[in-house]
Amino acid sequence: MRDVYVIGIGITSFTRLEYPLAEIAAYPAVQAMQDAKLDKVDHMFVANMGAGRVNRQTGLASAVIDHLCLQPAGAETIENGPASGASAIKAAYMAIASGMHDTVLAVGAERMNEVNSLEATDFVSTLSHPMAEAIYGVTLPSLAGMFTRLYMHKYGVTARHLAMVAIKNHANAMHNPFAHVRNLITMDGILDSVDAPTNNPIIADPLRFFDVCPVSDGGCALVLASEEVAKKSGRPMIKLAGVGQATDTHAVHDRPDPTELTAVKLAAAQALKMAKKTPQDVNVAELHDAFTILEIVESEEVGFFKKGEGHLALERGETQIGGKIPINTSGGLKAKGHPVGATGVAQAHEIVTQLRGEAHKRQVKGAKVGFTCNFGGFGNNVVCLVFTRE
Amino acid sequence: MERDILGYKCRKCGHVQYPYRTRCRGCGHVEWNGVDIVYDTVPLPKNGKLLTFTHLYALPSDFEAVNISLGIVELEGGNRITGQLKIKDPKIGMKVFGKVEVVRREEYKKYWGMVFYAEGA
Ligand SMILES: [Zn+2]
Repeated sequence: MRDVYVIGIGITSFTRLEYPLAEIAAYPAVQAMQDAKLDKVDHMFVANMGAGRVNRQTGLASAVIDHLCLQPAGAETIENGPASGASAIKAAYMAIASGMHDTVLAVGAERMNEVNSLEATDFVSTLSHPMAEAIYGVTLPSLAGMFTRLYMHKYGVTARHLAMVAIKNHANAMHNPFAHVRNLITMDGILDSVDAPTNNPIIADPLRFFDVCPVSDGGCALVLASEEVAKKSGRPMIKLAGVGQATDTHAVHDRPDPTELTAVKLAAAQALKMAKKTPQDVNVAELHDAFTILEIVESEEVGFFKKGEGHLALERGETQIGGKIPINTSGGLKAKGHPVGATGVAQAHEIVTQLRGEAHKRQVKGAKVGFTCNFGGFGNNVVCLVFTRE
Repeated sequence: MERDILGYKCRKCGHVQYPYRTRCRGCGHVEWNGVDIVYDTVPLPKNGKLLTFTHLYALPSDFEAVNISLGIVELEGGNRITGQLKIKDPKIGMKVFGKVEVVRREEYKKYWGMVFYAEGA
């Protein structure tokens, strides 16, 4: 297999966007091509989850290729739930590593705010098991609520630990101009003061409003290339050094230990092994914090911390910028936002920005190895990536 | 008539799975009768232990309640099931029993599923 590099990146703001979905995909794709100093590519993968239902548009990749005037390049839409973004990057990796193509765009885009938040929740709930979960009113936050309660019971995680994830990620997002939510929150405001229950109402207890990511619009794109093209481009050599993926049972209740995110553990191990790295080699990571608990548990499953000790490392500040392993420097899904299909691409965008040394106030000094975990369903389809700077 | 939730018993290894799957999760077996895939269906037990739960306040748009309670129950015999709870103050590990009731309505359509109550209630 050939080595694969990221030579161009582009991103939109993750706030509410008032232009059509195909443009939300096309604008960052143009930026990424300009960044890579290319005016065409061999192929494109567009990650998206909701176009058919939320935006009533199918065949999204064909619409995006038309916006970009890249015909007759091949193009496909990739739908893998909330892990669509990393799946599109994986597809681009395979296309280049195999020798089939030299330059591939991996784009992710979502326009969730075309419907109201109730309809958006209903749409995301279609990820759950139709007969064993969805009929009961199960939503993704309710699966996360049940998971959190069991995790607290078993490992002593508290509402305070969850709030610490939110506070950290909101603070990181203050330095990310593309982030959806850019306001500082405090323990007093969301947990301790008399106003806290009003500011931070229960969504699916023990999870509260500030434990759950917002519903965002947004697009993001990477240009991936073979070594030969990457060298010629003159852009920083950021290698996509590891790709891992694993699946788990559709119904969450079917897992032997429902406090384990086995697919995260397996996908992370695969990606790190391929990159010939250990969890301790990683300098910066973007984890899929759709719910605050997930950042803590993923940090354990990936191997940054021992099982049941992620919340203690968080307490010690090890996951802050300047800490041992900064997590979600972009603000994470929690504050950067979660335009579902774009998220996996945006995680990679942050890591490439960090490895290039272009993250300004949120820069992790000297970062050489970066990691992403893109979590689909409630952990039933997970894609992890490792990037290295050469 | 008392309703049941059905488990699907493999004709090769005897593993009972819920929910239904095309292949047996116990051994990978698929049994065809020439037209369809066949399992022996067995009613799942209704008594069990509450593994975890949540009170959900952000409900799917067709629910009219303010909140619903959802939980995962470990049934006697080892199968697990997700269901609704009608329990005032649920606790992890408490004993519960289930009844099959209407758990969701979409216009004229009714969905039946397991609703759990506190044992002794
Ligand atoms: Zn079997």
